[in-house]
Amino acid sequence: MIRFESVSFRYDATWILRHLNLEVAEGELVVVVGPTGSGKTTLLKMIDGLVPHFSGGEMLGDVVVDGRSIRDTPPTELASTVGYVGQDPAATFVTDRVEDEIAYAMENLGIEPSVMRRRVEDALDLMSLHELRDRQLATLSGGQRQRVAIAAVLAASPGILVLDEPTSALDPGAAEEVLASLTRLVHDVGLTVVLAEHRLERVLPFADRVVLLDGAGTVEVGEPGVVMASSSLAPPIIDLGRLAGWSPLPVTVRDARRRAGAVRAALDHAPVPTTLVGGTEVVAIADGLCASYGSTLALDGVDLEVRAGTITAVMGRNGSGKSTLLGCLAGINQPSCGVATVQGTTPTALSAKERIRRVGFVPQDASLLLYCQRVDQECATADEEHDLAPGTTSASVARLTGELDPARHPRDLSEGQRLALALGIVLAPAPRMVLLDEPTRGLDYEAKRALVAVLAELRDEGVAIVMATHDVELVAQVADHAVVLAQGEVIAQGPAREIVCHTPAFAPQVAKVLSPLPWLTVAEVAGALEGVR
Amino acid sequence: MNGTRQRLLSTPGRILLVSTSILGAMAFLWPFLVSATGTVDSAHHHDAPILLLVIAPLLLVLLAVEVSRGRIDARGIAVLGILAACGTALRIPSPGVAGLEPLFFLLVLAGRVYGPGFGFALGGLTILVSGIATGGVGPWLPFQMLAAGWVGAGAGLLPAGTGRAERWVLAGYTGIACILYGTVMNLWFWPFGVGGSTSISYVAGAGLATNLRHFIAFDLATSLGFDLPRAVLNATLILLVGAPVLVALRRAAARTRLGPSVEVLSEVAEAP
Amino acid sequence: MTRERRPHAVAWWLWSAGLAIAALRTSNPLLLLLLAGVICVVTLALADRTGGPSPLGTFARVAAIIIVLRVVLQVIFGQRVPGHVLVSLPSLPMPSWAEGVSIGGPVTVEGLLSALSGGLRLAVVLLAFGAANSLASPREVLRSLPGVLHEIAVAVTVALCFAPEVLASVRRVRQARMLRGRPTTGIAGMRGIAVPVLEDALERSVQLAASMGARGFGRRPVVRSRARDRGAVALAIVGSLLVLAGGYGILAGSDVIPGAAWLAVLGVVAAAGGVLLSGRRAVRTRYRPAPFGWRSTVCALSGWATAALMAVAGILDPASVTWSPWPLSWPAVTPLALLAIVVGLVPIPVALRPSPRGSTRALVEVGA
Repeated sequence: MIRFESVSFRYDATWILRHLNLEVAEGELVVVVGPTGSGKTTLLKMIDGLVPHFSGGEMLGDVVVDGRSIRDTPPTELASTVGYVGQDPAATFVTDRVEDEIAYAMENLGIEPSVMRRRVEDALDLMSLHELRDRQLATLSGGQRQRVAIAAVLAASPGILVLDEPTSALDPGAAEEVLASLTRLVHDVGLTVVLAEHRLERVLPFADRVVLLDGAGTVEVGEPGVVMASSSLAPPIIDLGRLAGWSPLPVTVRDARRRAGAVRAALDHAPVPTTLVGGTEVVAIADGLCASYGSTLALDGVDLEVRAGTITAVMGRNGSGKSTLLGCLAGINQPSCGVATVQGTTPTALSAKERIRRVGFVPQDASLLLYCQRVDQECATADEEHDLAPGTTSASVARLTGELDPARHPRDLSEGQRLALALGIVLAPAPRMVLLDEPTRGLDYEAKRALVAVLAELRDEGVAIVMATHDVELVAQVADHAVVLAQGEVIAQGPAREIVCHTPAFAPQVAKVLSPLPWLTVAEVAGALEGVR
Repeated sequence: MNGTRQRLLSTPGRILLVSTSILGAMAFLWPFLVSATGTVDSAHHHDAPILLLVIAPLLLVLLAVEVSRGRIDARGIAVLGILAACGTALRIPSPGVAGLEPLFFLLVLAGRVYGPGFGFALGGLTILVSGIATGGVGPWLPFQMLAAGWVGAGAGLLPAGTGRAERWVLAGYTGIACILYGTVMNLWFWPFGVGGSTSISYVAGAGLATNLRHFIAFDLATSLGFDLPRAVLNATLILLVGAPVLVALRRAAARTRLGPSVEVLSEVAEAP
Repeated sequence: MTRERRPHAVAWWLWSAGLAIAALRTSNPLLLLLLAGVICVVTLALADRTGGPSPLGTFARVAAIIIVLRVVLQVIFGQRVPGHVLVSLPSLPMPSWAEGVSIGGPVTVEGLLSALSGGLRLAVVLLAFGAANSLASPREVLRSLPGVLHEIAVAVTVALCFAPEVLASVRRVRQARMLRGRPTTGIAGMRGIAVPVLEDALERSVQLAASMGARGFGRRPVVRSRARDRGAVALAIVGSLLVLAGGYGILAGSDVIPGAAWLAVLGVVAAAGGVLLSGRRAVRTRYRPAPFGWRSTVCALSGWATAALMAVAGILDPASVTWSPWPLSWPAVTPLALLAIVVGLVPIPVALRPSPRGSTRALVEVGA
């Protein structure tokens, strides 16, 4: 169905793909894996012809899709064969209603109105969107938008579906829905699906084959268990398998549970690591906090205590009020009732300069904070505006990510580097509390490891960290306390281990495999097994 | 710099653009043209402006058709639409009744980076979209579109240059263009908006000099209070904020390289 | 094919165009007031109550401003013509280069009435536009545009959908800057907000373009012929010259260039031919287009009937449609003019019909 024939590609000086050979058969679900910058997006876009027709660059070799060569066919001609869904579905909408968006591709292809009508209904059914058909696109949630984007592409009846990070913006529940729909399409309709994803723990169970890009331009293809065995990027379940010596490696929680009997037995009497209590100093308090976002009530009576030297994870579905809570603590949102105090004062009452020394906030999109054209300019301006000694900010950034090329434009950096730059700028005035909103979106495992190390360091220095996230693996690795929000109310609060192990939606893979034992990460399990021996 | 310009219109389209502009100019300047030619035909006197007011938008529609059917591809439409959205967002908080419309500074900068055809289309499109967005598609719209289109196209026709000199030239152009925009829209409104019985009205049959005098008085009386602040605001914005905006626009234009598809190579000098 | 439930958006614009033309054909204030009444009644009866300010209200405000402006200009700059003087303002001496322009002087009743009635005419035209905006929002018209305008329609839709996002983006960037203690006002503030918002928007345009391309936007058959291109250019040139000649002829009066209006129309047709020949595009179909059935036809025709009847009344009995304050007299309404205005009310019984679910909201959703 899809055949890459010795493909090499580069945008400017460096070759991103070298002599890549790959074959994808019909009806397969293939997951493309690789560190940031290894060419995953380029590979996916090549299947649809978007690279090189829309992006420029130099390409050697050829990609043959359903018998047609990409070099000769522009993407518009491939619309009925390949459907491409990008990372940000909201950016790709061309109309303002769900039904019109779904019909758009078919209108372009000149399909008969009666056929269009039927296919729109089919697409609505396939992605379970019938209640949303008349809605304005601007009013949909992230998961709904993702489904509309997929439906819009499916309506043209392509044989191949290409998705770039379909679940990065979604909470675990919505991600499950989307992946389940995709799997159903592969099994029932015979669609070929190629997708790229950083959070392997979500997609590996569904994959037929895995394509691993190693960042040097070459590729390894095979069954998930086989390819992951030698990969440095691996979800926790693979690490656990490697640790326990299982062969072949399990990719689903069910497989792992079947083999985990021995490990569970070994750990049965091992002491579970206790949560460090952290300092007793209370850095921030939210007391009966209510806040609205627009006309909806986003927070309804939230009580929270944040202590120095702890990491608190705020979890919940998208739209449950996590960002608003962080906003109230940071002083951007004005609470409508109740009180939020940081070190005794309300953050909205502080001047900007005082506020940054107490609270640092990194929003969901880190590049909102960056506006200079060069990294070194960014650091220098930060020093000036925060009244710091020159060089403080660059030192802070270097500590997080090693050397960044000072002449680069911040928007040209990778996601992880941009986050590190923004975090470095926020940390430079040494605030007592740091707030992070979805820090791991778009980060690969390498960058996540670096972030985890930094957060642990900060915690040891006594900084209080609050992060809003639905990345359960991050919570498992680093959080001490967890707060779960739903519809603006706190429905669970306590030590992270308890909360996360007892809520199936937020349980990390290790906990799911070893349940009912409360182990969260492979590192803990490794340590405990050492201790047992 | 030329790499960022894109050729939006084919040859028939460029001919149409020029003739639309000329006809539009006639539609704006008809009081003076009639006074200059000195003919008074009272039977069709009231119909002349109506006819012109209908034909000029027709040509605008044709121009839109030409852009649609011409060389523009998805990238061009996407950038056009998104920049028009930015312009609309600049205009919405201060709708055109008051004078303070920061829209022109973005229009001039975009016209500068992307070329005169694109600038014309962007000017017209932004006015149209802001009219639709504020629920006010009125009879003035085609003429505002034409005038804004001229502002954008003019920016694209300025001589090349970079750095501070470029910014000052652009700021000067913007100031003049804003004032001319206001004057042109006044010119549209003047013949029928003021009525026939004031001393600054358009008087059919009077000479060119008289009508010119009347119009200048009308202009000074009613709109310099709007046009000057607008000119000053937009020119200042260019001087203060223009540099990083130009960099951002140029970066984006170089990256997307709007226009026909890229050539795909079979051989390169270095091996991968 | 969907059954027609309500008049097509374009039909409403045609109706209000007819009423606007009728207003331009008369200067009788009574007729104008009646026309305004008809417009308001139809709009209030049939327009959808969506959120936000009613366009009719906005246009009515603009109309009021124009009337006031005219009256003020009349008062200050009024011509020195004999009439019933209301009040006499001090007049300013004018320099010699502004000879002919007079400021101040006597304010006459006739002058004021002339300003009011002229302003009223403009006001009715504006009200007609406001009615069209209310009854058929321009977004609906966008969806009904012919296929040749598709790309531009997409650009307009993209811009309309994205404009509120730009404002939201500005708000987010502002908040982010406030957090970091960066200025949000002044020069640094403006740069710091404008640049990230613009860069975000431009990045989005890249993704949007890719998505549009991947969904088949802009397919065109590859076949070209040189003869066709050259023919297109020639047609466009000829058409443009004809239009310019016709336009000049219209301006200069019908004796200078005979049949000037027809020349201009011919020129437009030729230019259209040139444009249509030069472009190449594949066929595009439309999903659930709004039907243009008998209701729409009746609505559109009623507006044009008003204009036609008013024109006829003007030809048969000019005194009924024209009115001048010199000499001062009461305006009169003749039966023919009245008929013309009443015809404009025809859409009400035609378009107002309870939906099967018994609510006007359902009428909107199902028919759109």
